[in-house]
Amino acid sequence: MTVLIWILLLLTAAAGAGIVFSREPRQQVLAIAGNGLVLTLLFTALQAPDVAFSELAVGTVALPLLFLVALTSIRTDRKDPPRVGQP
Amino acid sequence: MSAAWRKALFGLGLLLLLAPVVGVAFHMPSFGDHPLPYGDAINEGAPRDRHVSNAVSAVNFDYRGFDTLGEEFMLVTAVTGAVFLLRGSRGEAVTSKPGTLPNRPIAARSDAVWLISRLSGPFLMMFGLYVVLHATVTPGGGFQGGVIIASGLLLLFLGEGYRGWRHIMHSTLLDILEGGGALLFALAGLAPMLLGASYMQNVLPLGTFRDMLSGGLMPVVNAAVAFAVLAGFSMVFLEFLEETRQPDKQG
Repeated sequence: MTVLIWILLLLTAAAGAGIVFSREPRQQVLAIAGNGLVLTLLFTALQAPDVAFSELAVGTVALPLLFLVALTSIRTDRKDPPRVGQP
Repeated sequence: MSAAWRKALFGLGLLLLLAPVVGVAFHMPSFGDHPLPYGDAINEGAPRDRHVSNAVSAVNFDYRGFDTLGEEFMLVTAVTGAVFLLRGSRGEAVTSKPGTLPNRPIAARSDAVWLISRLSGPFLMMFGLYVVLHATVTPGGGFQGGVIIASGLLLLFLGEGYRGWRHIMHSTLLDILEGGGALLFALAGLAPMLLGASYMQNVLPLGTFRDMLSGGLMPVVNAAVAFAVLAGFSMVFLEFLEETRQPDKQG
């Protein structure tokens, strides 16, 4: 059990760092979803299934979706099409 | 402020913070230790006094129910605010065209997405319903189940496409569920007062331990939370996704 928790804690640190170090917004959204998944596993391992349910549904589905939609809305509202290759 | 000053200020702050942080880090309770008596008291009291095996639900919907009422209205206010802002600039009309970048084709939905969404969407909603109904018995509850059902509805969007999805999602029904859930919660709190008890006192028969309907007032409050959360999240999804559509008229 302790080994599992250590692995998950390391994964959490890696996933959190992944969000910070990804600079492209769409990649960042996916990194947030990945972090939510890792946190879900961590909460399950720590025997907090209630929190794990909430984290899974809100952190992995709802939040990334709303971010993606906001990004889409910004991109499609623009008058001039964004240049390819530019973040 | 110059860069050197900023660095000096940052260094000073770091030095001031470092000592307390190190001090706290060496005096933390060991991992998995819970020195406070509250958790043990709830674990002992919930099965005995409330006939409920999920202590988290007992805390949320009974012992600390008044807090949850506040959270409930926080959610309703947040959803109302989001809907108000988005609909305010767009109106209530359903737009037909998907918004897209110029000269960029809209890819057709692949068969795999279609199949997986249609298979797993209903299963996910059924699971959400299970989580809602067994709030007082197994982990989960109105909030978790409500969000899971809303995620299942999102899968229907992936499977059926926007038009089919909007055909299922009636925003008036969602409005009623959202407000009705919050109202039911408040009424479930007020009803015991008619009997001379205090606000949200658990006056209903408690039922049998490990039964789906155990916990007296808890299943009612739980259902109220489930309605409000399910409708609230669905409404936010609906309003946000509507933002990605092309407005019918410019301006």
